[in-house]
Amino acid sequence: MKPLVYLKGLGCGLLTAASLSVTAFAAEPFVVGVISPMTGPMATVGAQSTAGLQLWAKALNAAGGIKGRQIELDVCDDQGTPENAVTCARRHIERHAAIILDNSISSTIRAITPLLKDGPVMVVVSPIIDPDPKSYVFQTSASDVEITRALLAYLQANKISKLAMIASTDTTGEANASHAQKVFTPAGVALSLARIDLKSNDASIQLANVVKDNPIIYSAYSGAGAATVVKSFNNLGLTIPFVLSNANLSDAFMALIKNDMPPRLLGLGLNFMLPELVTDPGERARLQKFRTAFQEAQKQPPSLLALMGVTLADTAESVLRNVENTNDAAAVKKYLESTPIQSIAAIRFSPESHVGAGASTISVVEYKNGHWTKADPIK
Amino acid sequence: MNPLTQAIMSGIMMGAVYAMLSIGLVIVYQTAHVINLAHGETYSIAGSVVATVAAAQVLPIWVAILAAIAAAIVFSIAVERFLLRPRHAWSHNALILITLAAALFIHGVLYTLIGSDAVSFPRLVSGAPFRIAGGALPPQGLLLVVVGFVLALAVPLFLSGTPLGRQLRAAAENPDAAQLMGVNVDRARVLAFGIAGAYGAIGAVLLVPLVSVDFHTGLDMTMRGFIAAALAGMSPLWAILCSLGLGLGEAFVTTYFGTLAKDPIVFFILIGIAVWRSRNIRFGGTRRA
Repeated sequence: MKPLVYLKGLGCGLLTAASLSVTAFAAEPFVVGVISPMTGPMATVGAQSTAGLQLWAKALNAAGGIKGRQIELDVCDDQGTPENAVTCARRHIERHAAIILDNSISSTIRAITPLLKDGPVMVVVSPIIDPDPKSYVFQTSASDVEITRALLAYLQANKISKLAMIASTDTTGEANASHAQKVFTPAGVALSLARIDLKSNDASIQLANVVKDNPIIYSAYSGAGAATVVKSFNNLGLTIPFVLSNANLSDAFMALIKNDMPPRLLGLGLNFMLPELVTDPGERARLQKFRTAFQEAQKQPPSLLALMGVTLADTAESVLRNVENTNDAAAVKKYLESTPIQSIAAIRFSPESHVGAGASTISVVEYKNGHWTKADPIK
Repeated sequence: MNPLTQAIMSGIMMGAVYAMLSIGLVIVYQTAHVINLAHGETYSIAGSVVATVAAAQVLPIWVAILAAIAAAIVFSIAVERFLLRPRHAWSHNALILITLAAALFIHGVLYTLIGSDAVSFPRLVSGAPFRIAGGALPPQGLLLVVVGFVLALAVPLFLSGTPLGRQLRAAAENPDAAQLMGVNVDRARVLAFGIAGAYGAIGAVLLVPLVSVDFHTGLDMTMRGFIAAALAGMSPLWAILCSLGLGLGEAFVTTYFGTLAKDPIVFFILIGIAVWRSRNIRFGGTRRA
């Protein structure tokens, strides 16, 4: 009898331990790594986009998480510098993050990419990256080339064949300039290009060099430093239409330039900035739901950057819900390449392209009476 | 637009600001024989204060400006009174490092108060820019140039042409002898730092509406002021001319060689001149660099 009692007790103990460990395993949260420039010159970009992600995680956790597991959003501030970005990436890799969401600038993303040769999957919003399909990097936004083509279409619709452009001297600016030359020159649009340093506090000389007799100017310069270009534009008393890059279509940036607003301010926006441009009912419903939640939480409407953060969140959620083992980077990659992502825009990756959105998601918008609308023609 | 004319106008505007900053460094050096690397923070502090108060829209802009100038003066005097005066027997290198520490401390304070974004405030003088030979000079820019150079020119006149100015210089040349002659050396230094703080603040009030300011603008401004002052051998009149030259030089380099060439060329020229004058650089006296 004694051995039997002993065995029963042992069996009960083992069962208890097993159920406890299963419970502990089930309670272990999904670690979603976020790399974002929360401080530094690109802070206006990071803070907005990350606000959207935090709202997503909070809502999901309040609803019970995914498969009984909470989402732990581990936000790491890369300050917009490659060296800090690498530190952030290492941290997420060491923590076995299920997925990394990166809303930082291209130079930091390029610094991280070699670290991810074995995963985890990283999803980015920067339009400059155009990830290698062999890599574990995916991009939810349309590429910078497609965005530039949208501007070209607008110029051609308005019969404009000359363009002044300002780009920064960093990696993003280098890509902007290269794509502009690739898109505008073959299409017969004469491009006058000047570059500006990220630390410059005056762009008068650059503007004087490129504006000349050009009827419109495009500032591809992202971040708060782009306010320098707008201020200098106002200082010179220029009146031609001014096109902002999509990274600057935020309330924070509008507040920065409110005393220097150009007479006509345009921007390269994504359709989901304006609900009336979103035609798919599912996308529109998701967009409306997010806008309502964001407005309630942040007491302001979501900026384009916050909305771009939603595409990251939706991609992450799709992976967490549908991939059995999120620690298997190859499985996550295969899933993303074969499954459309339900979001506020059409996101579709493939084994041949890790860029999820195309030109159909981009519109030229105009800032009028305190909000963005579809752009009027150039008179 | 004519890029050359615009470069001249932009260069003169920046030259006016550099003149005010370099003069602030010079007057402090001529009184206390210390290079104050926290000097540019008076610019950042003033610009940030005006921008913050203006954004709150509870006080008129002129009140914000007065508060900003007062804040900059208080900071500048505090550096002298609490950081440098108790340590006046320390080596010059140590004192310079202390002022650098003060500058970095202010970076942290401003970052905490205004965050990482650049800030600005409305122009004091608005209106269409003056168009001259293909260049454009906004009314605020004209105000900056006139006030900046007038204030900068007032300092050499003050130092050499007034009894108080001579007292300030005596306090630096030989503090003990000056004290014996009835000069209150401590008060002279406070006055010098206060004037320097005011100049940095006025530079910000005039320039920030045209550009912007953030938490780390101060050191950039200190560096520009120091380059002009060092090229001038800490002579007030030459500092004004060197400031103008620096502003114009930066503008021409940006125009003809691109923005990335600005810092390398400017610092290359500085190094070249420093090497050329390495036996002749004087810091307000007969001592070698």
